Amino acid sequence: MRKTIALLLAVIFTATAAFAQGRVVTGKITDAKDGSAVAGATVKARNGKAITSTSADGKFSLKVEDNVKELVITYVGYNDFIVAITGNELSIAISQNSQSLSEVVVVGYGTKIKKDVTGSIAKVGAKELTNTPVTSFESAIQGRASGVLVQQQNGKLGQGINIRVRGASSVSAGNEPLYVVDGIPVITASLSSNGSPTNPLSDININDIESIEILKDASAAAIYGSRASNGVVLITTKKGKNGTSKIDIGYFTGSQKPTGKREFLNATQFVDYFSRAAVGAAHQDFLAGYYDTEEDAIADWMSYTESRFTRYSAGNEDWKTAKVNTDWQEQGFQKAPISQYDVSLSGGNDKTKFFASGQYLDQDGIIVRNSYKRYNGRLNVDHKVKDWLSVGMNMSFARSQNNRVSNDNAFSTPIQIVALSPITPIIDPRTGLPSGALDLATGNPNTNFPVYYNPLLSVDNSSYATLVNRMLGNVYANVNLAKGLVFRSEFGVDQLNQTEEAYYGSVTARNTGVPNGSGFFSSDQLLNINTNNFVQYAKTFKDVHVIDVVGGMSFQKQTSTSSLAEGEEFPSDAYKKLASAASKVDATSSASEFSFLSYFLRANYKFNNKYLLALSGRYDGSSRFGANNRYGFFPAASVGWILSEEKFLENVKWLNFLKVKGSYGLTGNGEIANFASRGLYTGDGAYGGQAGQRPTQIPNPDLKWETTKGFDVGFEASFFNNRLGIEVDYYERKTQDLLLDVEVPGTSGFSSQFRNIGNLNNKGLEFTVNTTNINTKNFRWTSSINFSANKNKITNLDGQVLGGDVNKAKEGEALGVFFTREFAGADPANGDALYYLNTTKSDGTLDRTTTNDYNAAQDVVVGSPVPDFFYGFSNTFSYKGIDLDVLLQGVQGNEVFNGGGQFMSASGSNGFDNQTLDQLAAWDKPGDITMVPEARMFYANGTNNSSRYISDGSYLRVKAVTLAYNLPASVLKKVKIERARFYVRAQNLFTITNYKGWDPEVNADYSASNITQGVDFYSAPQLKTIVFGFSLGL
Amino acid sequence: MTRKIINILLLTATISALSCSKELDTTPTQSIDTKDAFKTGKDVEVALVGAYSHLGASNLYGGTMFVAADLLANTTEISWSGTFEQLTQMKNKAILIDNSFVAGTWLSGYTAINDVNNVLNHLDVVADDKKNKVEGESKFIRGSVLFDLVRLFGKAWNDGDPGSNAGVPIILTPTVEINAESQVPRATVAAVYTQAIADLTDAESKLPDENGFFADKSAAAAMLARIYLQKGDYANAAAAATRSIDYASANGKFLMNPYADAFPLTDGNTDEDVFAIQVTSSSGTNDFQTYYSADGRGDIQIEQEHLDLYEAGDARLDLFYNSGGSIYIGKFDYIYGNVHLIRLAELYLIRAEANFRLGTANGAEPLDDINVIRERVNLTPLGSEELSLDAILKERKLELAFEGNALHDAKRLEQNVGLISWNDPKLVFPIPQRELRVNANLTQNPGY
Repeated sequence: MRKTIALLLAVIFTATAAFAQGRVVTGKITDAKDGSAVAGATVKARNGKAITSTSADGKFSLKVEDNVKELVITYVGYNDFIVAITGNELSIAISQNSQSLSEVVVVGYGTKIKKDVTGSIAKVGAKELTNTPVTSFESAIQGRASGVLVQQQNGKLGQGINIRVRGASSVSAGNEPLYVVDGIPVITASLSSNGSPTNPLSDININDIESIEILKDASAAAIYGSRASNGVVLITTKKGKNGTSKIDIGYFTGSQKPTGKREFLNATQFVDYFSRAAVGAAHQDFLAGYYDTEEDAIADWMSYTESRFTRYSAGNEDWKTAKVNTDWQEQGFQKAPISQYDVSLSGGNDKTKFFASGQYLDQDGIIVRNSYKRYNGRLNVDHKVKDWLSVGMNMSFARSQNNRVSNDNAFSTPIQIVALSPITPIIDPRTGLPSGALDLATGNPNTNFPVYYNPLLSVDNSSYATLVNRMLGNVYANVNLAKGLVFRSEFGVDQLNQTEEAYYGSVTARNTGVPNGSGFFSSDQLLNINTNNFVQYAKTFKDVHVIDVVGGMSFQKQTSTSSLAEGEEFPSDAYKKLASAASKVDATSSASEFSFLSYFLRANYKFNNKYLLALSGRYDGSSRFGANNRYGFFPAASVGWILSEEKFLENVKWLNFLKVKGSYGLTGNGEIANFASRGLYTGDGAYGGQAGQRPTQIPNPDLKWETTKGFDVGFEASFFNNRLGIEVDYYERKTQDLLLDVEVPGTSGFSSQFRNIGNLNNKGLEFTVNTTNINTKNFRWTSSINFSANKNKITNLDGQVLGGDVNKAKEGEALGVFFTREFAGADPANGDALYYLNTTKSDGTLDRTTTNDYNAAQDVVVGSPVPDFFYGFSNTFSYKGIDLDVLLQGVQGNEVFNGGGQFMSASGSNGFDNQTLDQLAAWDKPGDITMVPEARMFYANGTNNSSRYISDGSYLRVKAVTLAYNLPASVLKKVKIERARFYVRAQNLFTITNYKGWDPEVNADYSASNITQGVDFYSAPQLKTIVFGFSLGL
Repeated sequence: MTRKIINILLLTATISALSCSKELDTTPTQSIDTKDAFKTGKDVEVALVGAYSHLGASNLYGGTMFVAADLLANTTEISWSGTFEQLTQMKNKAILIDNSFVAGTWLSGYTAINDVNNVLNHLDVVADDKKNKVEGESKFIRGSVLFDLVRLFGKAWNDGDPGSNAGVPIILTPTVEINAESQVPRATVAAVYTQAIADLTDAESKLPDENGFFADKSAAAAMLARIYLQKGDYANAAAAATRSIDYASANGKFLMNPYADAFPLTDGNTDEDVFAIQVTSSSGTNDFQTYYSADGRGDIQIEQEHLDLYEAGDARLDLFYNSGGSIYIGKFDYIYGNVHLIRLAELYLIRAEANFRLGTANGAEPLDDINVIRERVNLTPLGSEELSLDAILKERKLELAFEGNALHDAKRLEQNVGLISWNDPKLVFPIPQRELRVNANLTQNPGY
């Protein structure tokens, strides 16, 4: 009987199972635009459980239950598509959507569907990044993401790039976001020895990047706790996909030019102008009583000046006839080719997926002696060992050699060549050698000809190479502990070994100060290890309650050691290694480390697909902080409401999606020196060969995290069949307990101390609008606009004004405002530089009378390096196989301070530096109304810091243009190639700006800091790049 | 079963990861905690060496403050063609309150003072036989720096009432924390002179006769001679100069001959150096070289007007050289040359002037002292009838040209600079703007 029952049950069960097997639906999914097969798309039964993905040829086969009437097709970058099952062989065309709501976005320790995200996250995908002809990926996201301000310091290769996510949050601690590659925080600090920061992120191959997510608000970022105040940039590298293995080959080549140039005096103008300056100076000397008559003074000054003209004319009088008229600026630039070679292999099956790539980038800089070469290799593998265990690794290797030039503040930096006189010949006729190379009287390089060290002497006679070997990777294991419960363990290593080696030949003596060659060798070894161990739990209860929890711990430790050796006195320039240096002048080594230990938890809850709640918290400890305040807790919460799922909007056909969201949370900032809380003595006080120690830091055991309270509200909506998508966010970020490098009275023997003092706020609005303007079978035009306005304001600095130069941190103002004297032009009576007093009168108003006494005038805010708003506007057109992508990018409302103005636009009153053309408008005779004071040699007439050197730094750039042709399938079949694309691509093609300098996107490298920004100091302009290339898929 | 094992392993891994918390206790490698810095007498001695390295800072005795003072005092004997606006302001007698070299001199000065105050605070751990030396050197540094700060940042001694004119803050204790008391007001000019004299007098008594290149009795007495001369206390100036010369002679020091040998193109002190700041290829800096030498920046050229002051055959003329059509002074041509802060020759000149003014012969006759200087540079000795204050002052000017004395001599001798009066506020450094911002008890100098 029992057996009978069992048998019966078995039969029933089998029958049910057979019934449940339903039918098999097959079909092919293609791209609506070009009909190409879409591989890897997810095909799911609507209201059923069956799910599969398409193979390389776009085909799928799915067994669905009988009650299933429709299939849902989802694929990253495409609109969700619901198709009725009509017949068993379906042909489905899906269309792309650049901001699809079904898109998966990477969040800290996991991924989420975009429509469920309650935080604020910007995403830039591989499509936007691939084959951008730049050295580092940050340049490729400029203008692509709202709320993310990207500024490249200058046009030197591999140079530092500043990124501000929703404004600067700190005055003295770090302001750069945290960078996380495949789950592992990576090394970003510059290791440069020459005061010109380099960018370790440029070791990453742009073409390896699948997506970049930028976590902007507190709720998205707080899972990274104490390092999230400045936002978090998550970089995810490419993975292999199911399907036939693919080979991709890419190549581009082209050339680069400066985006702009300045105009300087020619030989005739130079001689006239400095003769005027001599007369101006003579007049002043006479007034000061140094001469009995003005004629004496003029005669003396003219004789001095003419002897200088003769000197700068290479010892002859060609200056009188302008026989030599050298455009030195042109000599500082060079032809700059760029080429890049790429190959990648990818593929996979149900068990194993892989992605492997290699790249070689060979780039010359636009300024002489600057070049960059980089090799990259990557292997990403994922393998399913057992049903319950999968493991994988993402490993990359990079080797780069950057042949670098000096920082912007060195005579040897190529752009400082503009200071040389147009009457100076490139080749000294007395020697047949470059000017400055040889003084026949001494047999040594000239000491005072040309006017300054000739940077061209460095081109052939010096070298400075920064060589980086970088290994970045991680291994992971995923263990399915129970249904819905996954344990993940990750271990990552970022190892960066850098050497810098320089040799300065004997002919550079005027620049180095040592006669017989000098050189140095430095080495930095950084090891960054990180482990993340966490569990993820996801479950749906009663179909309407979806929960998703992540919790675990993270530990990071970074150790660094560095050493430097320096030598002088080489037998000849044929010997360039320190082995040959007779005098070893410096040798040093040092080590440092920091560690972070963190515990984190995040819980997401979704009810009925409409109501979203996310809570997260991170408990962080860092070695950097005082014993009294080592740990900090950073919680965040956010909510979202998908209104479009509500009944009352069900019938609003033009609305496809609407979500409102809000978040609040705390994030921290601990980017300060590793031992900032301690009282320190340092053993660097050697004197006369004897060892010494000296106090270097006053202790502050109470030093703790800087905390930012972030608040964000916004909505996401899409309309008209998803042809119009809008995202809007408003945010406020209040930073307190600023980690401030506070000025202290110098009589203490110290100049500053790190303390938690002060507050600053950022608030802003950002929006993104995506539109599909035209979408026909052959022609498609989509646009995307992003706009970001951020207002930064320091609310409390304990009354201090911080900042070493013109930029200041000051209460009531944005960080880094230009705070200096307000220039009032030339005194019509005598040509003196005038300044507005701007002292406060008894009635509280500012005294707007002018003075020639710089000390009497008060500093006022005369500009800000921070733009009021910035934007990007991209348009993509595709017509059959041709596509055109145009990205405009701009910033508005910021100013630039020309720090070099005190020399190059100085009324000829600060040295013999060649002057910019606008100085010809100098005051000449009583009654002249002009903004250029009288030319007075060495009288520094108006050359001190003032608004004289401030100009509008707004610009609109044609940032990137790509015109590509994709070979049609018919041709491809014949040549047996899967894909073939030929393109021409331009970067920084065209710039509209009022700025008269080289380029308004500038931040003098040697002085760039949180406070000092927007300063131009002989900074190399940005690169205008045009390349031709192809990519082939086999 | 396998899964259980795996789970246990993972749990173990997690727990061991949790024990990372001790990893948060990291220690610096190049630095040590302040509380560990003064454990032994040796620690105190190396802290004293560290103080000398701060004393030799670029903006202090590394030379920039002396170059700045020379530029302030000169009109047409030199020409300035440099681009450091901080020094252009000096040449133009138009110093701005945010001049970073001025701020640097202030900061470096008080850094050195804080260094020695730390040393003085830990004398108890120094071995008895070294205590006097350590204390003496510390006070030499403190007294010298106070004197140099007050004569740059305060009115000249002879300008009004030094007992009420504002000098600079006097700091005699080490800084352990920053608090309200860190805002120290300016002491009077007289009080600073008194402190400097007290420190140096104490130093002279405690320092050894011979002390390598560190300060010795001769150096302390020489600095005292400078101070007394600056305040017009000629009797004490002559006495201190005599003591210094005597100590120096006992140590085998003498005037180098030829003159150029006092400014060698090699490392180390000369036998004429009473006190010099040590510069090597790996530490220290000589900013006289930076600005004066054609091999440096060559920013300062010497005009014919200055050369015309010398008598024919003066060996000191041999030090001037032409490079590319400009004349440079060759006293500072070695990039790693020591900063010859006080040369023995200066003490003969101080003594000659002081004795001549007083009509005394403390240590030697003024005529003999002057002729020691003249004979070394191949000039005919003066006869007694040719000896005058002007002759002594001219000898002083030429002997010590471009070594940093011009401004302070102009002030004490009440000689105008062009049309600018010797006591014009333009010839006094402003109190740095950064100090006024952080110290409410400081007052700015007149004229700024």
